[in-house]
Amino acid sequence: MKRAFLLVAAAGLILGVASAADAKKKKPTPAPAPAAKPATPTPTPPTAKAPAAPTAAAAAPTLTAEQTAFFENKIRPILNAQCLKCHSAAEGKVKGGLALDTREGTLKGGDSGPGVVPGNPEKSVLIKAIRYTDANLQMPPKGEKLSDQQITDFVNWVKMGAPDPRSANAKGKYASATERKVWWAFQPIKKMEPPQVANPSAVANPVDNFILAKLEEKNLKPSAPADRRVLIRRVYFDLIGLPPSPEEVEAFVNDKSADAYAKIVDKLLASPHYGERWGRHWLDVARYSDTIGDPAKRAETPAYPFAWTYRDYVIKSFNDDKPYDVFVREQIAADRIPGNKDRTTLAALGFLTVGDHFNGNKNDIINDRIDVTTKAFNGVTVACARCHDHMFDPIPTKDYYALHGIFASTEVPRELPVITGTQDKTKYQEYVRERAALEKEQSDIAAQLKAKGGAKNNKKELQKENLALKAKLDRLDLVHPGAPIRAMAVEDIEKPHDSPVFIRGEPDNKGDLVPRRYLEIFRSPNAPSFKYGSGRLELAYAIGNKSNPLTSRVMVNRVWQHHFGEGFVLTPDDFGTMSTPPSHPELLEYLSTYFMDNGWSVKKLHKLILLSNTYQQASTDNPRFAQIDPFNRLLWRQNVRRLEFEPLRDSILAMAGALDRTVGGRPVNLGESPTAVGKEKVGKMGASLKPMGTYSNRRTVYGYVDRAHVAEVMNHFDFAGPEMPNGRRYTTTVPQQALFLMNNPLVIEQARRIVDRPEFKKMEDDERRVEYLYNLLYQRPPTQQEIQLGLDFFGDAPASGKTTSLPMPAPAVAAAPVKIAAAKGKFPVPQAAPRFTPRPLTAWAEYAHALILANEFTFVN
Amino acid sequence: MNPHEHQAQLSELFLTRRQWLSRFGMGMGAVGLAAMAGDGLLTSRALAAGANDLNPLAPKIPHFPAKAKRVIHIFAQGAPSHIDTWDPKPMLTKYDGKSIPGGNGVAFGSPFKFTKQGKSGVEVCEVFPKLAQHIDKMAVVRSLWTDIPSHEVATVFMNTGSLRIQKPSLGAWTLYGLGSENQNMPGFIALRPGGGPPGGANNYQSAFLPGVFQGSSINTQAQSVEQMIENIHNNYFTQKEQRRQLDLVHQLNAIHSQNMQKDAQLEARIEAFEMAYKMQMAATDAFDLSKEPENIRANYGTGAQGKQLLIARRLVERGVRFVQVWASGWDHHNDLDDRLRNKAAEIDGPAAALLSDLEQRGLLDSTLVIWGGEFGRKPTHDKGGNGNPGRDHNNRAFAHWLAGGGVKGGTTYGATDEFGARAETNKVHVHDYHATLLALLGFNHEKLTYRYNGRDFRLTDNFGHVVKEIIA
Repeated sequence: MKRAFLLVAAAGLILGVASAADAKKKKPTPAPAPAAKPATPTPTPPTAKAPAAPTAAAAAPTLTAEQTAFFENKIRPILNAQCLKCHSAAEGKVKGGLALDTREGTLKGGDSGPGVVPGNPEKSVLIKAIRYTDANLQMPPKGEKLSDQQITDFVNWVKMGAPDPRSANAKGKYASATERKVWWAFQPIKKMEPPQVANPSAVANPVDNFILAKLEEKNLKPSAPADRRVLIRRVYFDLIGLPPSPEEVEAFVNDKSADAYAKIVDKLLASPHYGERWGRHWLDVARYSDTIGDPAKRAETPAYPFAWTYRDYVIKSFNDDKPYDVFVREQIAADRIPGNKDRTTLAALGFLTVGDHFNGNKNDIINDRIDVTTKAFNGVTVACARCHDHMFDPIPTKDYYALHGIFASTEVPRELPVITGTQDKTKYQEYVRERAALEKEQSDIAAQLKAKGGAKNNKKELQKENLALKAKLDRLDLVHPGAPIRAMAVEDIEKPHDSPVFIRGEPDNKGDLVPRRYLEIFRSPNAPSFKYGSGRLELAYAIGNKSNPLTSRVMVNRVWQHHFGEGFVLTPDDFGTMSTPPSHPELLEYLSTYFMDNGWSVKKLHKLILLSNTYQQASTDNPRFAQIDPFNRLLWRQNVRRLEFEPLRDSILAMAGALDRTVGGRPVNLGESPTAVGKEKVGKMGASLKPMGTYSNRRTVYGYVDRAHVAEVMNHFDFAGPEMPNGRRYTTTVPQQALFLMNNPLVIEQARRIVDRPEFKKMEDDERRVEYLYNLLYQRPPTQQEIQLGLDFFGDAPASGKTTSLPMPAPAVAAAPVKIAAAKGKFPVPQAAPRFTPRPLTAWAEYAHALILANEFTFVN
Repeated sequence: MNPHEHQAQLSELFLTRRQWLSRFGMGMGAVGLAAMAGDGLLTSRALAAGANDLNPLAPKIPHFPAKAKRVIHIFAQGAPSHIDTWDPKPMLTKYDGKSIPGGNGVAFGSPFKFTKQGKSGVEVCEVFPKLAQHIDKMAVVRSLWTDIPSHEVATVFMNTGSLRIQKPSLGAWTLYGLGSENQNMPGFIALRPGGGPPGGANNYQSAFLPGVFQGSSINTQAQSVEQMIENIHNNYFTQKEQRRQLDLVHQLNAIHSQNMQKDAQLEARIEAFEMAYKMQMAATDAFDLSKEPENIRANYGTGAQGKQLLIARRLVERGVRFVQVWASGWDHHNDLDDRLRNKAAEIDGPAAALLSDLEQRGLLDSTLVIWGGEFGRKPTHDKGGNGNPGRDHNNRAFAHWLAGGGVKGGTTYGATDEFGARAETNKVHVHDYHATLLALLGFNHEKLTYRYNGRDFRLTDNFGHVVKEIIA
């Protein structure tokens, strides 16, 4: 990383963007001006037409698009999932002599006769087997009979002549490259009309048509509308990640107007907290972190002092409802977009630069950028093609190196561009002074190094000192309020060039040069390769473009996933041939079209989804339906979802009245002091979430994220690791989550604050107090039973002032810091952590704490 | 989420505290009993046996008598070269620097020497001088193979037998089948030095098995018990008071579960709280290495692996059923000579110490220790012509060793071709390997099933042949 900050501290104290840029004049950096460049790059035309040219599969008959689609959508998935395990020539498993992985094998059949007789289902052994009519011939075996619909599909397929695009030379169950190109996700997005449904009264908007149609096919029904209190809690957590206040709940429950709910949706979409919630979802995908990664072998400082400007850009973009195609393009090429006058958008480029730094390994950094770009926007795993053609998807190694050339022709500028100047003159002067002092020390060291080049030990010492100084400079930029704010931008190198294929991924083993361009599957055959600069601008337009079949689909799927717990496609970052086909392909197409037709407005997309009856239905279980559709893939109910760590922590603070709702800015400390320097590694920040020092009560999204040391508590709560794009978090349930809630002072102290709230203290009796807590914590009043349970908890002394006794002197295990005795150089000697001295709790606080621990607090119905 | 959920009767919600205690003392929410018992293996036993067996973590008897009662799985992640560790290939050495007949690429003979060791005379690589002394306790499988040579996929595959769909880990299956001998600790623990392995929690997940069988991961890089298991102490309440509070929480949860008509994830969370409560006492002790005598600690050495294996021994000694130990860093595309040597040195001493230690405590017979990675490596140069060669990925051949727990010591099983390019004789696919491990634990892998989504699932999918030859 060659980031040096030359500052002009002289003369009239130049503040702000323009002056900072003028003053530097290192290069003629005409941001935001991609001057003298074509007005608009020609977007790559749609790939058009399916199926792909049938030339490759020589023996394969030419199929119509409908035939191919039928096979790909209805037949192949079943063959792959249910049959090829035991009947695949390529896998060497041909039970009963039957291989179903090629057209030839399918026709030929096995020991029981011809598998498929085109046009004649009754003579096809395959059909006989899947119908389960013959007790001796039932496939798939062991009672895993296909659904009636699936059987009908097979029968229809045989009736239409068993069209099968697969060829005899298919390699494995993943078929040939030509065949892979007909995968649904690589086809242009189709316009869909909402289907007719038997019960139109259950339809609030077209989303419901699609969902209902599929439910009706299976004789399922959607659930009743959710209770209003359930619904408001759900939509608050979904859109802003915070609970509604008791007053907001009451107002909604009592609002009899027809658009009461729509008003709530509008209000939440307009809230600045919306961007924090949805920005965090995007940051998972963008593998956001404030540090470079593993510091163990580092020869550089770990901090990205300005990563947060990217985080704020993302949050602001969601809040502003920036058209998604623009959002995409800015993250790839904000510095190159013609007419882009908004210098703050340079922060968007952090998308490319906040990744792991891989100890400076250039090719690994490029790989990371290829990976994040292709997964985040297009749901394709191009990085798999680094060493060999993609094993499952039609992505040859050449595609990878076409992108490699683009990112190899892109670099981080020597000096990061200032996007916001400092408002406070005094603070700025202070910053400049501190910086100058540090830089002076640095140049002294440089001079010494030059002078004493020979003396080895001393040299090492000096280099170490130099690194420590760099860390101090980074920290100054990270924490000093006077530091001008910079974007983690990139720029094109002067002489952009193509990259050769690295054979087997080895940089020393070069193959042919590959012109810079985007993936073959998205290109028309004669499209020109990229010419302008690195090609990032053209790449931005190839992705942020209606003609790209995946950009809209992938984002729609992400949005849907966060409203229902699962996307149409279960793997949001991989729409390739290894992914499960979408649960509702037609609806995905419809929404993808809607999204583009409505100016790529994410908020409009939300609104369409949120105003559907499908979203608003109850999450109540229905054992009969669950047997038919155990995963609720058809959405006969809303899913019960667990809060992720961020909304969980944020809402505990919010309910205690302690949440600091400031939006944006430098990362805050959710662990130890972010101002630590010297012996304490910067990397240790955020290692725990103890309330000490300058612990912040800001929203969790503003916490400092250290890639190499993600806080254990975050790991245990399934935080998306910032090593790679991660559009879907795990949901594990482990005791460490419980320990955090049960024992961490952060949580317990909020329980104390909750019962310290003046509203609580005003309550005249215990029953009202219980009621207050239920309304605050669960957004509903308690039942009589629950009130009784609360009162019983106080036992024979229900006085609210009763306090618990602290475990002092504690039993051995709960005693003061547990120290492991030093074992002379054997195991590392633990440091006694600074202790937090608790004060006794009232029984009310303990009760409020219990309500936080209970399942209702953590689950959204 | 199990669709056939039982609904709590309201009368159950207001049990006396003693009743609650006794129910939850078993590590199990009352409302979950039927859900847990409703499927698969547990059904018949749960119905046939007393209430104690309704606890999913209660110790259970496997299908047939077997020696192995618990497992320490040392995962050498990154794909160690079998050719340079447990599968000597003299013919490859002969061809060193030349092209392999009928193959691609330039032969790369192992830079290491192999010598016969022990009474059995099994050849051991010079990089494992200490393990060599235990060779008569070990069975080396030299003919493993797997499906896909990509780290993350193959790593998860080695643990779950599944390439893409999330399925339960071997540890989760083991715990499901055998229960745990310690009701105060998770029965399945994954020890990792720092961050997670490729594939993360997928490697120790319970997937569709109930959450109580999920592996709990512990960062062993942390220096104190308090850091390894954060929030292990409560400084506000006495133990008694916390118990009273948790009893209330369980009652609240019971009401909630009933309104929700139940859901497996709610149940899993209830169990997690109970386990957390008990761990406050039990885990503090188990992870506290200062309680080990100096000489034992010295045997395990000062490295990260020594620390992990010593913790692993303390855990199995306390009845934890399955311990996964992550030992990554075996992806040697270049500089294999140096890097593999160093990597081997990290595990050689500690693993040898573990085997001796278990033996001295009389635990080796009942503890199955396995070592190995997710696939093997090619016999050819990865970096053509470079001075510091390494090897590329190879899913067609790799080697593991097993020791203790009913393993036939001093044996080798299967063979690769003369260059080590692919398993040839007595091939052992990962499914076969899983079937064998389950057999060592007393299970017929075809019968250790769990009904989910209308289908009986098992670790070995529709495959798996037991390698009887390595079972004593």
